[in-house]
Amino acid sequence: MGGDFTAWLRGRADEQLRALVAARPELIMPVPPHVEGLAARAGTPSAVGRALDRLDRFTLSVAETLTLQPGPLAYGELRSLIARALPHGSRADNRRRAAELDIALREAVERLRTACLIFGPDDALLPAPGVRGALDPPAGLGPPAADVFRHHSPESLTVLLADIAPAGTDAAEGPADAADPTAPPGRRLAALLAAPGTVERLIAEVSPQARAALDELAWGPPSGRVADARREVRTATAQSPIEQLLARGLLGATGEETVTLPREVALFLRGGRIHQDLSPSPPELDGVARDQALADRTAAGQAFTFVRTVEELCELWSHDPPGVLRAGGLAVRDLKRTAQLLDLPEWAAGLVVEVTHAAGLIASGGSVDGEWLPTSAYDVWRVKATEDRWAVLATAWAGMDRAPGLIGERDERDRPINALHPDLRRSAAAEVRLRTLSVLAAVGPGIAPTPASVIDRLAWEQPRRRIAHRDRLAEFALREAEHIGVTGLGVLSGHGRALLRAFPRYGSSHGRSYGHSSGEGSGAEAGAEGAPAELLAPLLPKPVDRVLLQADLTAVAPGPLVSDLGRWLALAADVESKGGATVYRFGEGSIRRALDAGQSAGELLAMLERHSATPVPQPLRYLITDVARRHGRIRVGTASAYIRCDDPAVLDEVVADRRAAALRLRRLAPTVLASKTSRASLVDALRAMGYAPMAESLEGDMLVARADARRTEGQPLTRAATATGPDPDIVAAAVRAIRAGDDAHLARRGPSDAPRGQVPRSPSTATISALKEAIRQGARVWIGYLDSQGHATSRILEPARMEGGYLTAYDETRAAVHRFALHRITGIADVN
Amino acid sequence: MNDGPLIVQSDKTLLLEVDHERANACRKAIAPFAELERAPEHVHTYRVTPLALWNARAAGHDAEQVVDTLIGFSRYPVPHALLVDVVETMARYGRLRLEKHPSHGLVLTSTDRAVLEEVLRSKKVQPLTGERLDAETVIVHPSERGNIKQVLLKLGWPADDLAGYVDGEHHAIALAEDGWTLRPYQQEAADAFWHGGSGVVVLPCGAGKTIVGAAAMAHAQATTLILVTNTVSAHQWKQELIKRTSLTADEIGEYTGTKKEIRPVTIATYQVMTTKRQGVYRHLELFDARDWGLVVYDEVHLLPAPIFRMTADLQARRRIGLTATLVREDGREGDVFSLIGPKRYDAPWKEMENQGWIAPADCVEVRVTLSDEERLAYAMSEAEERYRFCATTPSKNRVAEALVRRHAGEQVLVIGQYIDQLDELGEHLDAPVIKGETRVRERERLFQAFRDKEIQVLVVSKVANFSIDLPEASVAIQVSGTFGSRQEEAQRLGRVLRPKADGGGARFYSVVSRDTVDQDFAAHRQRFLAEQGYSYQIIDADEVLAEGEEDPAR
Repeated sequence: MGGDFTAWLRGRADEQLRALVAARPELIMPVPPHVEGLAARAGTPSAVGRALDRLDRFTLSVAETLTLQPGPLAYGELRSLIARALPHGSRADNRRRAAELDIALREAVERLRTACLIFGPDDALLPAPGVRGALDPPAGLGPPAADVFRHHSPESLTVLLADIAPAGTDAAEGPADAADPTAPPGRRLAALLAAPGTVERLIAEVSPQARAALDELAWGPPSGRVADARREVRTATAQSPIEQLLARGLLGATGEETVTLPREVALFLRGGRIHQDLSPSPPELDGVARDQALADRTAAGQAFTFVRTVEELCELWSHDPPGVLRAGGLAVRDLKRTAQLLDLPEWAAGLVVEVTHAAGLIASGGSVDGEWLPTSAYDVWRVKATEDRWAVLATAWAGMDRAPGLIGERDERDRPINALHPDLRRSAAAEVRLRTLSVLAAVGPGIAPTPASVIDRLAWEQPRRRIAHRDRLAEFALREAEHIGVTGLGVLSGHGRALLRAFPRYGSSHGRSYGHSSGEGSGAEAGAEGAPAELLAPLLPKPVDRVLLQADLTAVAPGPLVSDLGRWLALAADVESKGGATVYRFGEGSIRRALDAGQSAGELLAMLERHSATPVPQPLRYLITDVARRHGRIRVGTASAYIRCDDPAVLDEVVADRRAAALRLRRLAPTVLASKTSRASLVDALRAMGYAPMAESLEGDMLVARADARRTEGQPLTRAATATGPDPDIVAAAVRAIRAGDDAHLARRGPSDAPRGQVPRSPSTATISALKEAIRQGARVWIGYLDSQGHATSRILEPARMEGGYLTAYDETRAAVHRFALHRITGIADVN
Repeated sequence: MNDGPLIVQSDKTLLLEVDHERANACRKAIAPFAELERAPEHVHTYRVTPLALWNARAAGHDAEQVVDTLIGFSRYPVPHALLVDVVETMARYGRLRLEKHPSHGLVLTSTDRAVLEEVLRSKKVQPLTGERLDAETVIVHPSERGNIKQVLLKLGWPADDLAGYVDGEHHAIALAEDGWTLRPYQQEAADAFWHGGSGVVVLPCGAGKTIVGAAAMAHAQATTLILVTNTVSAHQWKQELIKRTSLTADEIGEYTGTKKEIRPVTIATYQVMTTKRQGVYRHLELFDARDWGLVVYDEVHLLPAPIFRMTADLQARRRIGLTATLVREDGREGDVFSLIGPKRYDAPWKEMENQGWIAPADCVEVRVTLSDEERLAYAMSEAEERYRFCATTPSKNRVAEALVRRHAGEQVLVIGQYIDQLDELGEHLDAPVIKGETRVRERERLFQAFRDKEIQVLVVSKVANFSIDLPEASVAIQVSGTFGSRQEEAQRLGRVLRPKADGGGARFYSVVSRDTVDQDFAAHRQRFLAEQGYSYQIIDADEVLAEGEEDPAR
């Protein structure tokens, strides 16, 4: 079968292979050398598992249905099997469902075939290698009877058989195996149960309670717990319902306290249906209708606030950076303080910190200081337009593999989970987040789906995916989307939709997983193409260059300020209230701050007059002149050391000395010199000049240094690439490489098929798979081997084990067991 | 982009641009659920608080209306979190109701069982309730009607009091509108109170709160207990009631430190009610002395804590609170809400002023530069003495005197905190001084003389802060105060805000020592007044002094 699959795969068009690789990008990491390698990799349990994880409930059911068949299945038969699983309703309902099914099934089969989870033409569909194993047990069914009764002793089975298949009746019911008394009892029992007639007869014999117990197990889970499952029972003496079933082989003991319903019996009970109430389309999303324009505006307002909050955070941290915990991350106390300063609840502050980090705007400093500081990327980001800044943040959020919602909770070892800590990584976070957004996108404009229905839809889309806390991650995503301004009033905004388009696997509204149902939303979307920033820009409040000055010493900026004025006001006044508008309050302290920064009273007043729509109120004017009057009466400077001497003449000497030039001395008073150099070097320098200075204690030292805004040396976080999936170029290149490798592989194999004393060279993948095959079959192989001296030798081996890059085998040519380095095996061939 | 006059901030303040064409409509729409915090010239600040939202609920507004108003008037998108919060907060009011049960008296009911369970599990609620009648009803001891409302408000589930009121002993009271009529807003305030049952009316000083009280009494037609801040105020209430209503002097009793009369309408002071003798309130029985149909609380924001406790027992009687401001220095706004009742009427000062009901006032701060000796003495004084020192410097007194000269011929009040300073000023200005030790009779005589313009300058200490009526004072000069209390400021301003016979403007000076703590307190004052929308200027004392020298006769 493996060969059939490889041949089929090789026959696929390039375009189809590209589709395969795009759908299953892990197959080209690294790029396999040829189609054979591709086929082998596609069949490994982990690769199949990942591919199956991506399937929605309906498509998965189609795959399960196929794996339950003993052989190839034609499309028509598949359809009738699936159709039986649909819920039955009124005639009109059924007709609608049948029409739906035709489209959905065709699409599901195509999808499975594209992903190479099934193969073959429509008249003989087969599950791809590895799929049957990965899907076992399918559809909530128990193991087949043969497995259920494997651990029963032959004696007990014989007794069982004697009870349920009395001689004389068997010929009519069972296949040959069942009647053949020489066959092993297990196989006879399995054959009996495989016949619907037998099962029907046996079920008819049991009590209604026993029948009810069977019905319980029919739709899974197929096992139940009872005390003493392995008790000996006979049909004649069976008392309880469970005993009646055990005595007839309708249940089998699979453990001391476990009984299991054999697959054959379950299929009979299901009445020929494999699934129950299967729906070809995803569950409907409940939601409330909202005005899309209002939602967009609300989201834009939130987006604006979020960008501003991030800037505030970075400004805050550039002056007063929190430390990095020894174990990494941000201390709970620091987060609390930040939340307080940003006036946000803690979860939102955690989100802001994480997104800022993910966008590379903050990072932990190099190894030395261990502080969280803005990066140089922040300086670039800061000068961009608001909408572009938002796009950077929102993209970082959407793609980040971390779950800020978990901050503050406790991990499995009961330690608190800190913000910015490596433990906050959740590999599925980006996947769930983007899927949640794509669900929001699928409902179409102006609808705010309820969280519960979004979560239901997610579960339908990826039923196999067992993501820890998927529901919680989805809830986080919804909450965060609202906070960041991707959604407004629960509705995905225009710019949010555009953001999602940047993630091609999730962005297209004609989604892979439920394309047949997403046609509704596309009409309204057509006009909304564009980059997120472009769509957001017109919704953002226009920057203003006017403020309203009031007699209570406040200035109200009725919108975001142009950046110069904003920075100036932030210097000259304190922010009192934030939001769409900003309220600034002038006070003695803030005016002093502006004067300290080098502004003069005249400049301050001129600036106010220029930007005020109304005359500057008298009390404000008075305040500024009053503060300026007192400002600077006392002078403070920076000096690291001073020289004092009661005799001014000595100081004259020192200042005049040429060697003192480097000390940058400044005369403050006749008897005092100030210097920028440190006390120690000053003392040394004076000594060198021939004086005998004495150092004074630190008291009186006038060091006044304000730590300047700092930037980290550390690298910004590189974004996880997982969420975006491979680039189309990479996909195409990979497929080209596989084709080329495959052609070369096939071409080389032709002439080297006939070994002439020399072992043919073969690629290492082929070598390894051949060795694996030989180990499985216990066959002998002929290999070419470079020994430790580099001589080419050839050996006949009986391979036993392969691990860690070495092959352990019995070497017939040396008559001993040896270990062979796999990379030195030059080729392999059958021993003929 | 919506071009509304309102900007909704994330800290739940609302900024209203007053010059916007829709500003007036917006103000009317948001007033029910937002408290006006500041009203300077261009942008008014309102705050949405839980109490304000519950006030709105009590007045019959629902969350949807509030949300629509916010979205409709807002220039920028309204933060979603705020809308959610509004809806959630408003939904909390009225989940619990206090009702009258035909057989069990007072009961607490709720259609939301979870809420009832939650509050009943509270240790504070348990002693106040009795038997559980069914899943949604529990008996409340009738005497705990006030307490349970207080406790429930603290738990965040304010109860809607639907248990009704006793009518009280009937007593005919009518307004005697001879030569005057109720102003429209007074009528509205009295009606709003009556329809609401109980509650607080907020009107600025000088807007005629006494008359609103009288109108409420005319609605009630029942015996009334009036609680006022002090004896002078009690006299004024009495005179005003005789003048404005059909009541005669015999029908009105005073219950004060000196008189203990109980009549159909009785006016008592907070002070006498809270007097304790041997650890017991001696005058509590006044509340039960008659079957009062209405209780009037004057200056609710000053209501002392013991009165709150007494009021908790009066929940079956109609209550009206009158005040200029709901802001309490002790932060007990919640108790006013649950015990007196929700706000029933509110009008901003500035608008009343624009309509001509109260006199426009100019506030001027005069900065006095201390002499060098004074500065040195100030720098060396003890921290606790500093304020007293800088508030009473001789430099200041000179400026105060110059200001009095400036306004010669007008009715001038000089207000201060420290008796020595006032005595000295009184001496220099040759003006009588009213202070704590001045007898009531003497006080009233001086007030009357001032009213009759026999005296033009009056020096008063803080005893005159509350409820005195000086209709003709057109200038007030404050030389010292109690550390910049907002309430005091409102009261003092009230002294000069009453409408003048000649319709002239009022002046409010405060004399402040530069570069001292006095100036810091003045900053609070300035902020408060500017926030109330008064024009505020700062001038240097030298200007005043110079002009005094040039033209002493002015």
